Amino acid sequence: MGDSISGALAPIVLPDPDGTEIRLGSLWETRPAVVAFLRHYG
Amino acid sequence: MRGHEAEIRAAGASLAAIGLGDRRYAAAFRDETGISFPLLVDEERRAYRAADLPSASVLHLVRKDNVRARSRARKAGHSQHRLGRNPLQLGGSFVFAPGDRDLHVHRSETFGDTAAVEDLLAALREAGGSGAPPIA
Repeated sequence: MGDSISGALAPIVLPDPDGTEIRLGSLWETRPAVVAFLRHYG
Repeated sequence: MRGHEAEIRAAGASLAAIGLGDRRYAAAFRDETGISFPLLVDEERRAYRAADLPSASVLHLVRKDNVRARSRARKAGHSQHRLGRNPLQLGGSFVFAPGDRDLHVHRSETFGDTAAVEDLLAALREAGGSGAPPIA
């Protein structure tokens, strides 16, 4: 929606470690979500 | 961030993380830490680019604030695992809400620069009413 960051991220689909694909917008579709972009695992 | 999952959920929000690297390494991290929230793998950095997250300079490694941050992390028992193909990629923390609203944006400016959990929780509290105005 508009120029929001969440709007730009929403259509992107990424896999979880098991290969299950999740559309990012689904994370905050019904309630707020805190989304952390990691620099490294640890 | 994962140490504050209960507070975030109590504020009515979910938590998710996006990481670089490959799925195998992400799986090891998930199993080792026991996290229960979604951990997504962005090998091609598509989401990082969409979020406009910058990369650091190698000169950031010797900045005093980064040296202090590494020391704090070690004392807290954190250890840094494999960095992968993009070791200079910086992270960030966001609070998003239904309707693709950006409630809080924190892009790391250097390696040790992380969002204050209090700020994330404050954004969630503000969104708890009829809906906070978007900031982007």
